[in-house]
Amino acid sequence: MNKNIQLIQINFIRLVLTLAIIFFVLTLFGTSPISIFDSIIYGSMGSYSKFIRTLIVWAPISLASVALIYTFSAGMWNIGIEGQIIMGAVGATFVARSFFGDTIISPYVQILFALGFGGFWGLICGVLKVKGNVHEIFSGLGLDFVASGIVIYLIIGPWKREGIASTSGTDVFDKASWIPTIGQNEFPLLLILIIFVLYIFSFFIFKYTSFGLRLKATGVNEDAAERFYFSSGKYILLSFFIAGAIAGLAGFSQASGAYHKLVPSISGGFGFLSILIVLICSRNIFFTLIISFLFSALIVGGSQLQIKLGLDHSLIGIIQALFVLSWLILEKLKLEKILLSKIIRSNE
Amino acid sequence: MKIEIKNISKKFGNLVANSEINISINNGIHALLGENGAGKSTLVKIISGQIAPDNGEILLDGEKLILGTPIESINSGVGLLNQDPLDFGNLSVLETFLIGIKDANPYRNLKQTKENILRIFQKYKINIDFSQKTKNLSIGERQQVELLRLLYNGAKLIILDEPTSAFSLEQKKMMFETLRSLTKEGIIIIFVSHKLDEIIELCDTATILKSGSVIHSISKPFDSQDIIEKMFEDTSSKIKSDKTFTNENNFTILVSGKDFLGRNTEDIEHRFSYGSVIGIAGLQGSSNDSYIKNFFTNEFSKTKLVLDSKIKIPKKTYYYMPSDRIEKGLFRDLNVLEHFGLFKSSETRFLNWNKIKNISSKKIKKFNIRANFSNEVSELSGGNQQRLMLSLMPENQSILLLEQPTRGLDFNSAENIWEMILSRKSKDIAIFFSSTDIDEIWEYSDIVISVSGKSIVNINYKKELTKDKVINYVSGIV
Repeated sequence: MNKNIQLIQINFIRLVLTLAIIFFVLTLFGTSPISIFDSIIYGSMGSYSKFIRTLIVWAPISLASVALIYTFSAGMWNIGIEGQIIMGAVGATFVARSFFGDTIISPYVQILFALGFGGFWGLICGVLKVKGNVHEIFSGLGLDFVASGIVIYLIIGPWKREGIASTSGTDVFDKASWIPTIGQNEFPLLLILIIFVLYIFSFFIFKYTSFGLRLKATGVNEDAAERFYFSSGKYILLSFFIAGAIAGLAGFSQASGAYHKLVPSISGGFGFLSILIVLICSRNIFFTLIISFLFSALIVGGSQLQIKLGLDHSLIGIIQALFVLSWLILEKLKLEKILLSKIIRSNE
Repeated sequence: MKIEIKNISKKFGNLVANSEINISINNGIHALLGENGAGKSTLVKIISGQIAPDNGEILLDGEKLILGTPIESINSGVGLLNQDPLDFGNLSVLETFLIGIKDANPYRNLKQTKENILRIFQKYKINIDFSQKTKNLSIGERQQVELLRLLYNGAKLIILDEPTSAFSLEQKKMMFETLRSLTKEGIIIIFVSHKLDEIIELCDTATILKSGSVIHSISKPFDSQDIIEKMFEDTSSKIKSDKTFTNENNFTILVSGKDFLGRNTEDIEHRFSYGSVIGIAGLQGSSNDSYIKNFFTNEFSKTKLVLDSKIKIPKKTYYYMPSDRIEKGLFRDLNVLEHFGLFKSSETRFLNWNKIKNISSKKIKKFNIRANFSNEVSELSGGNQQRLMLSLMPENQSILLLEQPTRGLDFNSAENIWEMILSRKSKDIAIFFSSTDIDEIWEYSDIVISVSGKSIVNINYKKELTKDKVINYVSGIV
């Protein structure tokens, strides 16, 4: 328990230091950090509808992040996460365009297909790794490109809009295929429920099951696994399948929640962003939940910068990058530990 | 050369690693003795500049050595020979040399540099082909190259940190000769070792450390019994292998394939009774470890075990313990409790941490593991890591495959480990262990398998062998 409190304290100090670095650099750019953060907060949470928009961005990022916790635990760099998101979106679109498309069960069938498509795409990486000894970064990157290629083929080929050949996307789904929402502002209850269930479920998996512990052990030392009577290969495969399936859900959220159609860059780079988030959070499930929300707020609120301050949207990219880099450097320096021990000592 | 170590103290958190250490060495070979955790490594690291002490100073020929920077130590003439060679396996011997020598730009006058290097090789009568890759040399040869590199750089104080653990008898002899000739040139040697016989044979003076402090300074002639008594508080008498133990059940070792002369032989069967301790002897670099692992993986040879009952032995009956504890045996970043959880994970889907805590605290006590649940295994000492691996042995009847179970451990820890292993004799089908230490093989085995190179040369009951015979077998003399 004591250790957990210390962990939270350390991360809090680190967060403050990171923000200080970001403030400093923004000041160097000749901008006012306060007004930038003010407009980001206003843009992402200034009103209920803005908050909903943030949630819609948060959904795929948080899903992809929790997916990555599985592969990272098994010691795997799942660069293929983008492709897995894309294939999940393809699976969802496939259902939305089928005879299920205008029925009330469409979103639920989409979920199943997104899980399956994404899981399958992840599994390819796993099989190549375990059976073919192909490094997961290479196969993942390759499969990302293949997945993008498939989407473009589908959009200008079989799933093209009536009479137009354009890469702007497929026809908008029937309303019945959209992710169910409640209220006038379209709160995506189903999506939020899925996220929270997955996070709690994953927390349970890693804390209280043999499966979770073995997954973690596989990531630390594949060689020793055999001595404890389990095969690391099996756990690598499972981690890729689970990660792919959950990433598929992120794709479903993008297709049926955000765009309501299939577009070429459906993953929006959220997969890569999630890799950074999970790295920052050192695979801690609750930190991941929080940090992924912060990043989503940054993305949504960033669109306000141009309107309110006349600053380019790319500033958000700089803030994100600064955040990740400062965080990781601070982590390596272990500055917070020293600070914390100083604080504790001075209190005594 | 003269080295004076004055009042060196070093603390890691609450742990006192070195406390007020004073040692003065004028010449010759000086031994640094002490059980695991006595503070030898810390002292060595301080002298070689890898860590800075909290207090104290070191004088070399009366001049103060700037502590805490390896470069300063090297420039002042301190050379450290590590336990495992720290060189570049993929480079040639010459390249390794060129990287690690003092000359500002050795490539500028390559011919001259080469000659200089050659001269030092000849001086110490070491014949090694310069152009071959370092990784193709034996560990002993690599250590010799390292030693020469230190000498080339003008080392006047050489520290050897358990250098002989990987040496063959022949190499050891050569190394000792070289070391003695060095002392004649006025070079001081600090020799860190667990092996008393080596120290008695080689060293002139010795310091015994215990819990971070100097407890005795002694000089030749040494009395081994006296040293042991000083190093350890309780010197309980050695446990002997229980020879009276009998069991009616038998198992068979089926050796197949080529024999040691490369001829195809028929399968040879050896029958032994349950509960036998089988030592697989071999020199460093022989395949005795591979035979241990082979019973678990069947990768190396077709030699296998067959029970009299002809029941296929399930995988879970085997418990394999690799010698490379942290690289192959345990999970570096997982804590002690998680290891016990992992051990339980083959029986259950859900982990009841309270139950696991109960079992683990019993095991931690029983196996005398000095660690908390939350300690990551990389924080444990070698002896504690080994005891942790032993504590993870299955409770039921097993076949233990122990690869060098006491490698790198001091006498006390090693005996402690053996006590735990031998207490399982009445329970287990067989206890296999490998070792390069013939004394250990002789001490604890009921049956000795002698391995020379890649082949099994001999399998026999200890009572029908002599120690010299085993030494001959493993040396390839039949």
